[in-house]
Amino acid sequence: MTQDELLAKMQKKFPKAAKTAVQVKDYLTVSLPSKDDLIPVAAWLKKEGFDYLDMLTAVDYLGPVDMKGYIRQANFNVFLPEGAAPQAESAAVAGYAYRPVLELVWAFVSMKDKARIFVKLEVPRDAARAPSLSGLFKSADWQEREVFDLFGVVYDGHPNLTKILTPDFLQGHPLRKDYVHIKDRYDE
Amino acid sequence: MTSEAATAAIPALRSDQLFVNLGPQHPSTHGVLRVGLTIEGEVIVKAVPDIGYLHRGTEKLAEARGYHHCVVLTDRWDYVASMPNNLVFCLAAEKLLGVKATPRADALRVMMCELNRIASHLLFVGTYGIDIGAFTPFLYAFREREMILDLFEMVCGARLTYNYIRLGGVMVDVTPEWTAKLKEFLEYFKPKIDEYDQLLSYNPIFMARTQGVGLITAAEAVSWSLSGPNLRGSGVVYDARKADPYCGYENYDFDVVVGKEGSCWDRYFCRVTEMRQSVRIVEQVLAKLPEGPVMAAGVAKIPKPAPGEAYAHVEAARGDLGVHLVSDGGVSPFRMHVRAPSFLNLAILQEKLVGMKISDVIALLGSTDIVLGEVDR
Repeated sequence: MTQDELLAKMQKKFPKAAKTAVQVKDYLTVSLPSKDDLIPVAAWLKKEGFDYLDMLTAVDYLGPVDMKGYIRQANFNVFLPEGAAPQAESAAVAGYAYRPVLELVWAFVSMKDKARIFVKLEVPRDAARAPSLSGLFKSADWQEREVFDLFGVVYDGHPNLTKILTPDFLQGHPLRKDYVHIKDRYDE
Repeated sequence: MTSEAATAAIPALRSDQLFVNLGPQHPSTHGVLRVGLTIEGEVIVKAVPDIGYLHRGTEKLAEARGYHHCVVLTDRWDYVASMPNNLVFCLAAEKLLGVKATPRADALRVMMCELNRIASHLLFVGTYGIDIGAFTPFLYAFREREMILDLFEMVCGARLTYNYIRLGGVMVDVTPEWTAKLKEFLEYFKPKIDEYDQLLSYNPIFMARTQGVGLITAAEAVSWSLSGPNLRGSGVVYDARKADPYCGYENYDFDVVVGKEGSCWDRYFCRVTEMRQSVRIVEQVLAKLPEGPVMAAGVAKIPKPAPGEAYAHVEAARGDLGVHLVSDGGVSPFRMHVRAPSFLNLAILQEKLVGMKISDVIALLGSTDIVLGEVDR
């Protein structure tokens, strides 16, 4: 099944699912208009053979991180000697459409057709909610907990939405672009 | 008094539920994994894996570093098989940059990844034997693993964190002396796999401890998104090298090894058999190693890929390792997500451990072959 065939088949069932402007290179990427479409689309994909939830993540499009505090010596040219003046800075790129949204990404794989599809959904940063896929795919359990922990996305219907990677005392969601680390007893 | 009558005379045993901490510092957890077990007698009634002890936030660190720096970060995920880690990041970044590795670099990448797979599976064979109670195979497996690490040290100077596969190719070409040493090793190694079979695979005690234990059906394996030998042990034929070939894997002749029932022994035996297939691939690469440069031209010292997204995945030693990269056109990846096979392979434990005996916990935990560096990233 080619990408176009799959897209046509999907749009016949879900006319509002559109091909995204930025495609994940080499793979079909579709965006959903609202979070209510997620469960029907995932269930349909599962029925169509995409029964392997390969990956589930999020991207924060707020803007680049402030690298001060993350990196002691920012020297992006790895071929310069140690201590040399840095040649580039991690900074906002002019012309890139930064926006205050979290983009949720799911990747489904059909082992039979050797095909992969990326599904995307944009949610506002201050009300980041999406339905949980843990009822359809068992592997959504930990992956959704990871995104909840690192991005603060709440997955409605998840049986056990708790922190998984970061320690209990850690405040905030580290992979959000505006995350500021509060010094704790492990610093210094 | 007959024995039945004696049993009836004893009042029903009242057993309380007991909470047992397995780990975080337990030799069989292969790193810092804690499993909170609630047991009743010897039977597990609840199991809660607790991870995050090794969380170093590499996904966040990558957002403040250049693309060349990120290759170094990838080494620290699965530190017993880090060649595929280097490779998957480079493949994703190369897609963004529009660079293609040279044919010789591709062949060397395949060769190194397969050698690393053998080294990783040898570590598994050795430590899994220890988990089950057989100490001797460990010594044999590590003897051979040491030779592969020596080969890696010869070519790139490092034994575990290689940083060998770089954007656009590999760090350095192999020398004729190295190739000769590799051929010597392959000839030495091939009969050794049969030795492991005699020592461990068909050992009656080992088989009794692992066959029919920790059964994972194909449907469960797919639903929990297992990958690698854990998925194939359940009889599902899926291998990224065949399904989505990269680095010219379509040109090599090898079989995808699958198990029958998804028991601990099946997962174990998949890995042992995979070593034979890896030897086959390495021999084919050696036979038709193309000449030419090992680094593609045109990789900038400070790469700035055009805005876009790319996903690359490879069949690493532990399963399907993927990297999702988003670029905003800057000098660092705007977002890097790692699809870590160990993380997903571990998640199934909370369901599978329930109802098992304590002694089988180690058998199941060991057979999933997780590396905590990759689970926590």
